[in-house]
Amino acid sequence: MKQFIVRRVGYSLLSLFLLSVTIFLFVRVTGDPTTLLVEPGASPEDIENMRHQFGLDQPLWVQYWLFATSFVTGDLGQSFYYRTPVLELYFQRLPNSLQLAAVAMVLSLLIGIPSGILAAVRVGGFWDSAGKTFSLLGLSLPQFWVGLVLILFFSVYLGWLPSSGSGGILHLLMPAFTLGWYFAAAHMRLTRSSMLEVLDSEYVKLARLKGLPEALVIGKHALKNALIPVITLAGINLVVMINVAVVVETVFAWPGIGRLLYEGITFRDFPVVQCVVVLGGSMIIVVNLLVDILYAYIDPRIRLES
Amino acid sequence: MTPRSSSTTRRSVLALSAAAMTGLAARAAGAAPQDELRIASHVSLAPTWFDPAETPGIITPFMLLYAMHDAVMKGMPGNPMAPCLAERCTMAPDDLSYAFALRKGVRFHNGEEMTAEDVKFSLERYRGAASKSLKERVARVDIHDPHRLTIHLHNPWPDFLTYYAGATGAGWIVPKKYVEKVGEDGFKKAPVGAGPYRFVSFTPGVELVLEAFEGYWRKKPAIRRLIFKVIPDEATRLAALQGKEVDIAYSIRGELASELLRTPGLSLNPAVSSAPFWLYFPEQWDSQSPWHDRRVRQATSLALDRDTINQALTMGHSRLTGSVFPENFEFYWQPPKPAYDPDGARKLLAEAGHQRGFDAGEYYCDASYANIGEVVLNNLREVGIRVKLRPLERAAFFKAYAEKKLKNIVQGASGAMGNCATRAEAFVAKGGVYAYGSYPEIDALFAEQAVQTDRAKRTAILHRLQQLVQEKAIYAPIWQLAFLSGVGPRVGQSGFGLIDGFAYTAPYEDLTLKGQG
Amino acid sequence: MTVTTTPLAAAAASPAARTLKLWRLEGFPLIPVLILLLIAFVAVFADFLAPYDPQIGSLARRFRPPAWEAGGSMAHLLGTDHVGRDVLSRLIFGARVSMVVGLTAVLVAGGIGTLLGILSGYLGGWVDQVIMRVTDAWLALPALTFAIFLAAIVGPSELNIIVILGGVYWTRYARVVRGEVLSLKQREFVRLAVVAGCSKWLIMRRHILPNVLNSAIVLATLMLGVVIVTEASLSFLGVGVPPPKPAWGLMMADGKKGLMVGYWWLTVFPGICIMLMVLSANLLGDWLRVKLDPQLRQL
Repeated sequence: MKQFIVRRVGYSLLSLFLLSVTIFLFVRVTGDPTTLLVEPGASPEDIENMRHQFGLDQPLWVQYWLFATSFVTGDLGQSFYYRTPVLELYFQRLPNSLQLAAVAMVLSLLIGIPSGILAAVRVGGFWDSAGKTFSLLGLSLPQFWVGLVLILFFSVYLGWLPSSGSGGILHLLMPAFTLGWYFAAAHMRLTRSSMLEVLDSEYVKLARLKGLPEALVIGKHALKNALIPVITLAGINLVVMINVAVVVETVFAWPGIGRLLYEGITFRDFPVVQCVVVLGGSMIIVVNLLVDILYAYIDPRIRLES
Repeated sequence: MTPRSSSTTRRSVLALSAAAMTGLAARAAGAAPQDELRIASHVSLAPTWFDPAETPGIITPFMLLYAMHDAVMKGMPGNPMAPCLAERCTMAPDDLSYAFALRKGVRFHNGEEMTAEDVKFSLERYRGAASKSLKERVARVDIHDPHRLTIHLHNPWPDFLTYYAGATGAGWIVPKKYVEKVGEDGFKKAPVGAGPYRFVSFTPGVELVLEAFEGYWRKKPAIRRLIFKVIPDEATRLAALQGKEVDIAYSIRGELASELLRTPGLSLNPAVSSAPFWLYFPEQWDSQSPWHDRRVRQATSLALDRDTINQALTMGHSRLTGSVFPENFEFYWQPPKPAYDPDGARKLLAEAGHQRGFDAGEYYCDASYANIGEVVLNNLREVGIRVKLRPLERAAFFKAYAEKKLKNIVQGASGAMGNCATRAEAFVAKGGVYAYGSYPEIDALFAEQAVQTDRAKRTAILHRLQQLVQEKAIYAPIWQLAFLSGVGPRVGQSGFGLIDGFAYTAPYEDLTLKGQG
Repeated sequence: MTVTTTPLAAAAASPAARTLKLWRLEGFPLIPVLILLLIAFVAVFADFLAPYDPQIGSLARRFRPPAWEAGGSMAHLLGTDHVGRDVLSRLIFGARVSMVVGLTAVLVAGGIGTLLGILSGYLGGWVDQVIMRVTDAWLALPALTFAIFLAAIVGPSELNIIVILGGVYWTRYARVVRGEVLSLKQREFVRLAVVAGCSKWLIMRRHILPNVLNSAIVLATLMLGVVIVTEASLSFLGVGVPPPKPAWGLMMADGKKGLMVGYWWLTVFPGICIMLMVLSANLLGDWLRVKLDPQLRQL
């Protein structure tokens, strides 16, 4: 087991290294931040001056070396645009993203699990289709559109909820719902299939044979076991949500990480992009690693296979 | 808690049915306190914009500079170069020095008095756009007493004030003692200036809070607090304005702008920017290309229905132009008004051998202005010029433009500061960053004006140069874009359009809320 | 869950026989399939069905409402957009763009992913390591971020969007297929083939590929929706299918502003189209998943 974990951690570090090189090169070949920080037509000296300030006049490998060495010491550089250490920016935004993802996940599970259970218990029936359709709708409509419709109805027409920005729980409701709905379908599906599997298992059959009421069988015996994979998926998706909310964050002006990254890309703010991608990537890689180890712990065969 | 108007019964029923919710929401979504103005910005605010020394060559930072800082001279209502921190500026007869007499009793936000030392310090500290040209030309700064100083130049430089007191940040004054005490980074975290509003707090990507500076020399600002909120999406900005969450929303375009006109209480405030938009033909120097023929380029210009495009996209507020030079620039030559003549365009195309029109390849543009490209495309197609739209993401577009990788048609724009000579250097003359080729006559004129010290003669040369740019149809200019913003019902004086060519609201000390003086 | 393994015979049977078999299975999602067929029909015959050129409009006729609204006319059944183009014609041609973009992107992603998944799973060793590390790194980059980057490098065009979406989404195939291959490797018929002296390539082609196709097909139907919606999000962020091409996602992103102003038809109609297509593809996919491959999870 120990050897397995060491190996997996090694692989993860390798993936992280690949990711950092990829992002480092990508962000550099796709645009020049100086052309965005000065108007087109500004004097060439100004541009050269700026390139020098940012260290962009150095050869690529030198830039990468500087980036990698300072990364190891925990220094991710200064944002070109904000002239602030990027870590500071990142940790300013991270709590917002966590909040959004947490509430979105709760809403997503509130939609996904009940509709998954209904669909499993009433296979082929009305509730099966209704639950499935509602969950799938979240997947079928672009988030920017759902968001705007919500804003129009709840902020402009009714005036109940603030359209944008951060603050209290009221600011969170619409963005979290928009984000959560999109993920609901995945949770519904997994609940449904794992529920079906559990309902087919020996001990549920046994419980039924004993004449326990159906509601008890489903609610207590089946659900408890069926939810384990769903919770695992939810864990992974929570991390994914933190990192992919850019559309929702843009529509609702929610100051999260997705938005920071998107702005970083549009301004070619190299340090910001590198920081967000590498840290976000680490998060995802770590979660995948944990899941792998967890499964290896549960099922020793996996250890041997890889 | 501000009661919301409930005009329809259905709405009040709905509201009643969720009374608890409404109670909560009225506080969250409700209007700002009586003495607070909230501005929704379309771009993320950068702390470098708090520091005049860092002013890059774009206009956006001035949105904040006008609030937190003040300049020796700056654009004010009715005067593009109004004396502010200086009471007078006199140019020596030999054109080699400028003497400034500073206003007495001006204080920074931290209570220190502004002196000639600060002015000198600010100029020397300046490292933003054009800092190199400024520093190369300024010989020295002499301080005579705390309120009088002279800036000496190496050679006569007619554009000095354009740079110093115009669009660069060099003439915007920061307190020397304070900067030296807190350091460069400290200054960006807690900037101190001599402007009407002082810094309270800043959360990157979220909001900036400013408070009125009672001791501002010009007048006491009427509104106690200013809050700049960043709302990147246009539709959300409008929704926030409609929901009274903000009072001013920058950049509301196209059909959203028409909603401003339709919603009672809201108003549309246009400000014409000094950024001309144009179509450029990078292949005009290639004799194999259809664009080599001047008639084809002229036909392109004639095909543009600028008026209708203007109505559709900017509610008619943009200024149509026949020039790629902004009309408020020095040495500007006024070209004839651009005409819309599709028949004439077809005729020119036929003469050039394209009776049935031609496939003109691709039309490159910055994706954020693809809406212009979309309608221009229609116009071109009507006369037989068939192009494919290729919107590129902004950074990629300017990279490709500057690296001269674009072909066929390029839709460009520039809001860079300077004058007609600097503009020509980048876009027309040989070797210019955005010039894909040049014409010898124009290059000759450009070289000639660069060494001409006589102002009248130089003007004449630059006029001739601009005339040639027009005659050769190097570009097909479109317009100077109007920047449209929305203003909510609480605002009295919104400050839009007070300063010529300035897109944002200013001067901030003049803004009022309704019910204020 | 009665069927736990896919019989080899079913995979090897002719497609027609397979389809017939599926028909007879219960719970066949008839309506979703009909909707998909209708969209495909419209896409193929767009040139004959559309009343106008979808890319040309006139500003004078902009924002006409649908025929049944006040101010609408039969000339433009579903109204006109912000450039005065006919919405119905754009929807019809949009079906083509969305179908082509969606299907090809899924095909590209499926092709790359299945190939790498098989190689990685069957060959194992360093090949497996390299492919899986790259997959992990790829997965760690949020799809949308990656798409924005690619769009910035290659510039947005229909073809590039396909490349981008394919280049982003292959990882899911690679992982699923690799997992399948790992378990197939242990199965009797593969072992027999090895003993019989078949080459690695032959085994991969003859024995592995047909058996992972089911999963790949299921995944493809589910990915179709993801791809279509991502395409719309890219348009919202300004790096999608370039205007004036009529793509549904682009129409929604463009019409979004109109929604604020009451021009609801600009987004609602393409919205319905996207919704129907994605919903149908997903319902079909869900059904296929249960029928073809009950073990498959976490999709």
